[in-house]
Amino acid sequence: MITVGIDIGNLLSKVVVLDGDAILASGIMLTTGNASSEIGGLVSRVLDDAGIARSHVGAFASTGSGADLAGDDCVVADEITCVAAAGAYFLAEINMVVDVGGQSITAVLIDEDGDVVNFMRNDKCASGSGRFLEVMSNAVGVDIDDIDETASGAKSPVSISSQCGVFAESEVITHVNAGENPADIVAGLCDSVASIVSAQARRFGSGDHYTLTGGVARIGAVAERINDRMDGTYYEFPHDPRLAACIGAALLAGLDDIDS
Amino acid sequence: MPFAGIDVGSLTAQAVLIEDGKTQILKSLGVRLLSHSISVRPNPLDSARTVMGGLLDESGLSWSDITYCVSTGYGRDSVQAEGLAQANVSEISCHGTGAYSLAPHVRTIIDIGGQDAKVIRMDQGGDLVNFVMNDKCAAGTGRFLEVMSRTLGVGFEELGPLAFRARGKVELSSRCSIFAETEVLHYLQKGAEKSDLAAGVTRSMADRVMALARRVGVEKDVMMTGGVAKNVAVRSELEKMLGLRMIVPSIDPQLIGAYGAAVMARRAGGVQ
Repeated sequence: MITVGIDIGNLLSKVVVLDGDAILASGIMLTTGNASSEIGGLVSRVLDDAGIARSHVGAFASTGSGADLAGDDCVVADEITCVAAAGAYFLAEINMVVDVGGQSITAVLIDEDGDVVNFMRNDKCASGSGRFLEVMSNAVGVDIDDIDETASGAKSPVSISSQCGVFAESEVITHVNAGENPADIVAGLCDSVASIVSAQARRFGSGDHYTLTGGVARIGAVAERINDRMDGTYYEFPHDPRLAACIGAALLAGLDDIDS
Repeated sequence: MPFAGIDVGSLTAQAVLIEDGKTQILKSLGVRLLSHSISVRPNPLDSARTVMGGLLDESGLSWSDITYCVSTGYGRDSVQAEGLAQANVSEISCHGTGAYSLAPHVRTIIDIGGQDAKVIRMDQGGDLVNFVMNDKCAAGTGRFLEVMSRTLGVGFEELGPLAFRARGKVELSSRCSIFAETEVLHYLQKGAEKSDLAAGVTRSMADRVMALARRVGVEKDVMMTGGVAKNVAVRSELEKMLGLRMIVPSIDPQLIGAYGAAVMARRAGGVQ
C-alpha cells in the first residue's frame, strides 16, 4: 500500500511517500506561519516526485506539533509513537530512540514489538535542541550545515559552561571576541549539546541499544560526541534522521491501527 | 569615619560610602550616602578598583581614608586578597543586611539582577532564614527582559511604561527566553501590539519570579531590589500576584548589595 507521512515540526515540515517500507520520495521545508496552506503544496510536490497520483494513496498520516494542520484526510499520530515505530521497524535490535528536534529532546524506551514503554521529553527549554545549536553557531558565524567541517579542525575545544541558550550565547560571543579559534568554539558547542542530550537519555539508564533521530542526529560531530557519552551500542538510523517521525507516521498509516 | 562596600555584579559594579555620626564628609556633600556605578570590566579586580576609584574621586577621599571596606559579589575573595577590602561577605548576607538596615520590617527580599534572581527570607533580627536562587536559566532574570526588549525593538527602560499601555491580552506560552523570542517575533509578524506583548512579557517574568518565591515562602514585608526593581510594570504585576504592596528601598535598588556591604564594614569597624 502507498502511504504518505506528514510531520509538521516547530522548525521543519517533512513529507514522505512510502510503498510498504520503501521510500519513494521525500521533501523538507521550513515551517512557516502558513503551514496549513503550504503543507498541501509540499505533499503534491513529493507525490509528483514519487510519480504517484493522489488517488492511489491508501492512507495519509500526520504528526508533529502542527499535525492538525495537515488536512482532514489525515489520521493524526503521536510523535513519540511515530519515532518509536520508525526506529523499531528499521532497527530491530534497539530499545531506545533519542530524538533531538528543533525545539525538543525526547528519549523513548521501546519494547521488542516497537511499542512505547516510557518516554521523557524536554520541550520547555531550548537547551541542547536544534534551535540551541542554531543560535550558538550563528553567534560564531558558522552555518549549521558547516558544523561538521568546522568542528573537525578543532585543536582544543573551548568549554561552554552555561546550559541556558541565552547565557551560552553570551559565553560564545565572549569567546569569539577573545579571538578563540571558531573551530574550537564550535567543537565546544558540539560537546555541550552532546552532554545535555546524553544526560537526558542516560536518565533512562537502560538504553543499551539505541538510535538517534531528528535534525541534530545529522550532524556527525554531535552524534559522535553523544555516542562517546553513552554506554550502549549505537545503531545508525538508515534514512535521513529528520524524516524519522514522518516515516513512522507513514508506516503506522499502513498498519491502519494508529493509537494517537 | 568613612566605611565602604564594593559589589561586583554580572553586568554592573557598585561602590557605596557611608559614615558614622562623628564625621561630616557626606553631609558637606549634601548626601546621606555616596555611590558610584560602572559597567563591569572583564576582570572583577579591575571592576572593583575602577568603581572604588570613581567613588573616592567623587568624595575627595583617598584609599587610606577608608576605615573599613567589605567586598561582595563576583570575585569578592580576590578583591579582599588584593587588599582592596578588609573582609568579604556573600551577596545574600549583604542584601539582607542592606534591606534590614533600611527597613527593619522586611522579611522577604526579591532581588532580580542582570543574570540571576534570588528570593531571601530573614527573621525579625535581620538574620538569614532561607534563600533560593536561579542563575542557570535566563527566564525570570533581567536578561529575559533584555532579550525581549531587543526583540520588541524598544529600550530596556521603555519596556515597563510600554506594558502599562497594553489594551489587549497576549499570553506567551514559552518560558524559555529563546522560544519566547520566536513566539514574540511571530506575534509581531501577525500584527500584535507591542504594548500588549510587553505586558505579556511582564506577566511571564512575574510568573517565573513567583515560582521561585513560592519555594521559600513569602512573608511580609517584601522588598524588591536589583535592577529589575526599576521596571514599574514588573513590580506592579508581582504586587498583584503576591496580593501586597512591596517596599521600595529609599536608595537605588541596585545599590542594596554594596550598601549592605558598607553597613557590615561599619559594624566590623566597631560602629553599630
